Amino acid sequence: MAVLSFPWRKSAALPDSAATPTANDRLSLLAAVVDLLPDPVLIVQRAAMPNAPVRVMASNAAAQELLRIRGDGESLIAVLRHPEVLGTVENTLATGEGRTMTYETGGPQSRAFRVWTKMLENDARQSALVVLRDETDARRLERMRADFLANASHELRTPLASITAYVETLQGHARDDIEARDRFLAIMSVQARRMGRLIDDLMSLSRIELNERVPPSGVCDVALVAREVIDGLLPVCSGKNVRLQLTAPAGSQVVASGERDQIAQVMQNLIDNAVKYAPEGTTVLISVNASASFEPEAEGPDANVLREQGGGRVCLVSPERSHEQRYVMVRIADQGSGIAREHLPRLTERFYRVPGQKSGEIGGTGLGLAIVKHIVNRHRGGLAVESVPGQGTVFAVFLPQGEFG
Amino acid sequence: MTEHTLKFFGEELEQLKAEVIRMGGIVESQVAQAVRAVADRDVGLAERVVIEDERLDVLQHEVERGAIRLIALRQPVAQDLRRTVGSLKLSLVLERAGDYAKNIAKRALVIAHADPEIPLTRSVQRMGELVGDRLKEALDAYSAGDVDAARNVWNRDEDIDEHYNSLFRELLTYMMGDPHTIAACAHLLFVAKNLERIGDYCTSIAEIVQYEVAGEEFLDPRPKWSSVEPPARSSGEPA
Repeated sequence: MAVLSFPWRKSAALPDSAATPTANDRLSLLAAVVDLLPDPVLIVQRAAMPNAPVRVMASNAAAQELLRIRGDGESLIAVLRHPEVLGTVENTLATGEGRTMTYETGGPQSRAFRVWTKMLENDARQSALVVLRDETDARRLERMRADFLANASHELRTPLASITAYVETLQGHARDDIEARDRFLAIMSVQARRMGRLIDDLMSLSRIELNERVPPSGVCDVALVAREVIDGLLPVCSGKNVRLQLTAPAGSQVVASGERDQIAQVMQNLIDNAVKYAPEGTTVLISVNASASFEPEAEGPDANVLREQGGGRVCLVSPERSHEQRYVMVRIADQGSGIAREHLPRLTERFYRVPGQKSGEIGGTGLGLAIVKHIVNRHRGGLAVESVPGQGTVFAVFLPQGEFG
Repeated sequence: MTEHTLKFFGEELEQLKAEVIRMGGIVESQVAQAVRAVADRDVGLAERVVIEDERLDVLQHEVERGAIRLIALRQPVAQDLRRTVGSLKLSLVLERAGDYAKNIAKRALVIAHADPEIPLTRSVQRMGELVGDRLKEALDAYSAGDVDAARNVWNRDEDIDEHYNSLFRELLTYMMGDPHTIAACAHLLFVAKNLERIGDYCTSIAEIVQYEVAGEEFLDPRPKWSSVEPPARSSGEPA
């Protein structure tokens, strides 16, 4: 640690031999604290001659790591050459006024920093304090929130625009056309239901997010839940001529720890998705395994084989691995058109759609997998997906084993 | 020479180097902003980049004057001479890289008004990020006098070339698909070419670092244009 590089510590020890040890202790403690701060902190100084370079007189560990400062007295421009930051620092040294600004480092892993500069008043020479704060995460969150709002309002506006248009038509020239009225009302009801589904999903997502850090209580029989969900989906399946086939250990319960309603929602969303994307006349295979370790790569083909075929396997949620933990594993495999490798990591993003897929045709809200991800996360479970374009997609859910009683 | 003169020379040389690094910082920011102006269709930003380029020209003249003054008055030898000449060479390279950034910004002005929009600006942005990263590494190597880092930059020019080639192919596809996009695509093609040139300058910077510190050039052959072998050229690649 470069605690010693702080000048105030040295000057405190210098002339005043009568200084009490406590004052010295306090100063060295302060220096140690500044050195440990997560934000990069620098003291820069400019000698009182024309065109003198600005030098870094002291820096804490975070600053030395970020800017690769090799020693005190290095010129500032050698470690930080962003023109606006330099301008701000020079401006503060020249005018004595503190400033704040933000800058981005650029490049593929660009990071955003907020820069504070402040004149050090009690110093005869021109010195200033420069503090950097990493705001990359905050920026990213801000962008995500803006995207989310834009997406949600877009998804709501489309059906609303359609309903409004039909209402206007019905108020106008189609007022007495009974045939048209029935047809329009049917469309309006479909659109209204779509909006309703979206709002339900939005609300359940926000509810799940609210409780994401609260561990779930209770246990439930996953095989039983899967069977119920499948029964509920039978009307949709027979309409589409898609078969659902469940493989579960016979005669015994498959117990996972977790909230029954939420586990049912995970099953519902995943099986419903599989049915939606399955072509007519195919079978969706659902298998329940009572005891598995978290090894998504243990089932299914080798990663290299998947890769050769243009597909891949991605772990969307990984539990904090403890080797003893056993999981109930549910695999849901469809024979649909599959998803290309590059889209797999983004599937659980809200409103993410694989390019070329239209939301209206399939009737999803774009939130189903986001909900699955948050529920699995809350249950300390795992979620993996493997897919090969043209062959189908497999989702594997891992839920920690539980015991009744 | 007295100790006093030596110290004085060291300070002057350091100041010269600081001015060159200042130019480098401006070029980095110019390149990043020019690419952002293309990607975001930001006219105001593009105009600022064009204006800001004058600062680079002024700084380049200052460095040149300073280097000549230093050579004339102090007659440096060995590494001091190489450092002085290196600053001079680097300032020229940076000034030219800055010109390419300015050119990208000028084209951004045209592309911003292009109709129909070309959805390819994301690829240009990725290439811009790559070049910006390479520029940063090269300038970091210069300001730290780090030959190993410089060699690293020098050896890795090819992925920029690869990006350029794939963008070239993509743009061709667009132009063949819809002749209305040709004007904007041609400008984007030059943007990509300019970025590729700036990438080449990064290897020049690396060479200057090697010359300054070690006094010799990189001797082994550099992997260059490996992705454009004669068979590929026959399919319409840039020479």
